[in-house]
Amino acid sequence: MIVRLRRFISRLRLSRLERELREEMHLHIDLRAAALRKKGMSAEEAKAAARRSFGNVLLLGEESREMWGWNILDTIVQDLRYAFRQFRKAPVFTAVGVATLALGIGANTAVFSVVNQILLHPAGIKDPDGLVAIREKFDRLNLKSINVSPPVFADARDSRQIFEHTAVARATGFNYSFQSVPERLEASAVSAEWFDVFGAKPLLGRVFLPEEDQPNANHVVVLSHAAWTRVFGADSSILGHSIELNQETYRIVGVMSPDFRWPHSAELWVPIGLPPQQFSPRNRFNESLDAVARLKPDVSFAQANAWLKVLTDRVWNAGTPGSRVAKNGGWGMFAVPYVDLISEDTRRPALVLFGAVGALLLIACANIAGLTLARTSARSVEMGLRAALGAGHARLRQQVISECILLSIAGAATGVALAYAGISFLLKIAPEGATAGIGAHIDLYVLLFTGATAIASGVLFGLAPALRASKAEANSVLKGSARLATAGPARQRLRSALVTLEAGLALVLLVSAALFLRSFALLQNVNPGFDAHGVMTAMFSLPAKQYPDPAKQAVFYRSVLENLSKATGVSSAAIGLGVPFTPYGENGSFLIEGRIVAPGEPNPQSARHFVTPGYFKSLSIPVRRGRAFAETDRAESEPVALIDENLARQYWPNEDPLAKRIQLTNGPTVYAIVGIVGHVNNSDLAMDNRKGEIYLDLFQFKQAMPVSWIIVKTRGDVANMAAAIRSAVREADPKEPVRALKPLRELVSDSLAPRTFVSSLLGLFAALALAMAMLGLYGVINYSVTERTREIGIRIALGGSRWSVLQSVLGQGLRLAVLGTALGLAGSLAIQRVLQNELYEVKAFDPLLFTGMAAALLTTSLIASYLPARRAVRVDPLAALRYE
Amino acid sequence: MSNEAIPPGTLDMLILQTLFRGGRLHGFEIAETIQERSEDVLRVEEGSLYPALQRLLLQGWIVGEWSKTGENRRARYYKITSAGRKQLERELSRYLRVSGAIARILQPV
Repeated sequence: MIVRLRRFISRLRLSRLERELREEMHLHIDLRAAALRKKGMSAEEAKAAARRSFGNVLLLGEESREMWGWNILDTIVQDLRYAFRQFRKAPVFTAVGVATLALGIGANTAVFSVVNQILLHPAGIKDPDGLVAIREKFDRLNLKSINVSPPVFADARDSRQIFEHTAVARATGFNYSFQSVPERLEASAVSAEWFDVFGAKPLLGRVFLPEEDQPNANHVVVLSHAAWTRVFGADSSILGHSIELNQETYRIVGVMSPDFRWPHSAELWVPIGLPPQQFSPRNRFNESLDAVARLKPDVSFAQANAWLKVLTDRVWNAGTPGSRVAKNGGWGMFAVPYVDLISEDTRRPALVLFGAVGALLLIACANIAGLTLARTSARSVEMGLRAALGAGHARLRQQVISECILLSIAGAATGVALAYAGISFLLKIAPEGATAGIGAHIDLYVLLFTGATAIASGVLFGLAPALRASKAEANSVLKGSARLATAGPARQRLRSALVTLEAGLALVLLVSAALFLRSFALLQNVNPGFDAHGVMTAMFSLPAKQYPDPAKQAVFYRSVLENLSKATGVSSAAIGLGVPFTPYGENGSFLIEGRIVAPGEPNPQSARHFVTPGYFKSLSIPVRRGRAFAETDRAESEPVALIDENLARQYWPNEDPLAKRIQLTNGPTVYAIVGIVGHVNNSDLAMDNRKGEIYLDLFQFKQAMPVSWIIVKTRGDVANMAAAIRSAVREADPKEPVRALKPLRELVSDSLAPRTFVSSLLGLFAALALAMAMLGLYGVINYSVTERTREIGIRIALGGSRWSVLQSVLGQGLRLAVLGTALGLAGSLAIQRVLQNELYEVKAFDPLLFTGMAAALLTTSLIASYLPARRAVRVDPLAALRYE
Repeated sequence: MSNEAIPPGTLDMLILQTLFRGGRLHGFEIAETIQERSEDVLRVEEGSLYPALQRLLLQGWIVGEWSKTGENRRARYYKITSAGRKQLERELSRYLRVSGAIARILQPV
């Protein structure tokens, strides 16, 4: 260790040490000469003898220099300098190499940057490994991961030996009058430790105090950076000021920094102030809170889960009524890494893309390995000469690897710039939904990744050429047969193998992209059970203070619908909760009159929709039997319900559900089923959960709605409907904002946004891969034509037809392409199994798709080999024979 | 007069011993001292002296310090360190063991 340290220090003083050593030895020589002179030698003789006895001063210097270990550093600098000169002499090779690598490394950097932001280090979370979400499950109800109830939150919060901080949040929202225009601000009601769990500090002011997280004490607010900038003009004197939210007074106590937006939609935070009665054991199965916790530094994820299992067992064995529910439902609490929870939808697509760019980089490396091989064989004279002059094999290898690493560092630098531009561009064209919280960040993690990738690629593509270069024979140069030595068949075989590999990988990417595009096309033809054409949607939320009960809300609904019916272009309109492809759906259990559920069995389940009568007409949902809601269904008339055909099949397989009566488990009202409507796919075109649905009339429902959607159908231009909705709402209540005005079609296509994004990126990567592989093929064939110029010339001179020359060159290219295709088809079959889960309806081997892509590869291969073949045909036999 | 090259592996020990006795010497003085003490039997190869000095410096057994000679030339004077003294003891005891063994073998019976 100490020796190594000294070596390091002396390396820094390299030239001084050398100078000193030389001075020391000169002194020695002079003293020796003086001694010899004393013995009677002439001055000349004495000096010469002294020198002789010393040997070669230079060599000695070198020897002790090597001992100090600075030789390697020296030779690396030397190699890099040499490599730099080589690249300047071959600008085309260098440009092609750097560009290919820049594409390969750039694509990897871009995708890694996104993966890093989604999966590894999301912005605004300190130490993501120690952050978990606490979830509940009901194994027997097939509920695998749901929110938690206040008692579960209390259990976790009181486990200080495991969780350093625990907090919960619930989505909420406020109406705020911004420059006298009412608008809605999305908010999150959080418990006091929310920010501590994330390790987030406010930019200005403070976060919530424990005493503010109490009912009625919670009229304080922390602003997100975005809301602070947009609504309050980034005014730093805003702290301590009061604002009106839902017409109640809140005091601003803090502003968070720009990277903290957890949960993502939150524009501001208020204390949740859970009242004590919510923590009663009776409330254990009322799951409505998002819970997060920070593990203590010495506690592992497994330990946390083991502890939650202990807590679960405690509930199971408590002997309370809750214990039975827990046992029967297979209830439990558990923890998942928070990052996994929030990236559930994006993780797999991101990994698919990562795989694709990995393959792209492999192709790029194979390509450059091919180019470098060609170059090293062209440089075999030089290599042989250096070997003859005493360069060791290791030294020659080191030289080639240095060149490759220099090349890949240049490629990486260009690649990072390319990636930055690429991500910015993609974010611009990508739909909002797919890219929430992702920015064009090139941070330290990304740079580390890129650096490692660059060096790994350099070694990867430099390895084969380096091994070849070290076989450079001093003899062949001395024998003057260097020109012949370039036509090494082994080298050409290696290049052919590389090109075959490239073609194979390109085909795998082509097939993957085609599979994705095909499944995407199929998805767009899925019938969701409603017609989104000409439908505009908008969201509003009636504050509880002004609209405390359903009757007050109903007045507002009627007024809005009335105004809309008078607006031009509107063919029908409705208000509802649970509109397809909007957030805020509701699910729950219900009872069927006259049917007894066996103890321990779960109650029937359904999705729930609360809608006004115009809903079915506006969305063109067919009424299969019975009737839809009508104006005659009023708050005081008999409560009625509609069900969809799936629910009818599921729970009344052999009876007529019409006139049967049902009751929601969370209310006393009994509803008569008056009609059966078509099934509607509510949220995911790729995976209809086929869950049965219950529709209730909004005007009959006995609870106030926190949030509702307006839908308007027009035969005219859907864009005009935004203004119609705004003015209809303004007329009904000028203080009430509308938000999220979007055509329903857009909501549906937004749900496909991640797929659109992945499919188009895969398409792009596949095209790049094909282009690179073809460039590689072209290079190999072109090179072999150059090498065979003499042979071709002789053939033609001896009367061989130019057609046969063409055939032989094209045949060579095609042979490689066919081998590559076989390799690629095998790879594609394997990869399809991996991709199966990401694909919609693309199941078994699709011969049309596979042969189509194989044909595309073979055709482009033919074109890539035709260019050099044409050159071969034009060889002038006389010139060729004089070629040597 | 013919003099012998120093047996392999013993140069380091001789340098350390010379510095242990002589205190502060530069390269030429070390070579001369060894030759004198051996009564001109042993001759230090200049070609191996300086690499050996570098090696000893690197191991931290000696330290070098620049100063002036009697003729006012700059020279590097070497001194043995305490680590060097320990090393010298180790090498001496090994050498004595080995040479004693050799002597016993060569003893006429």
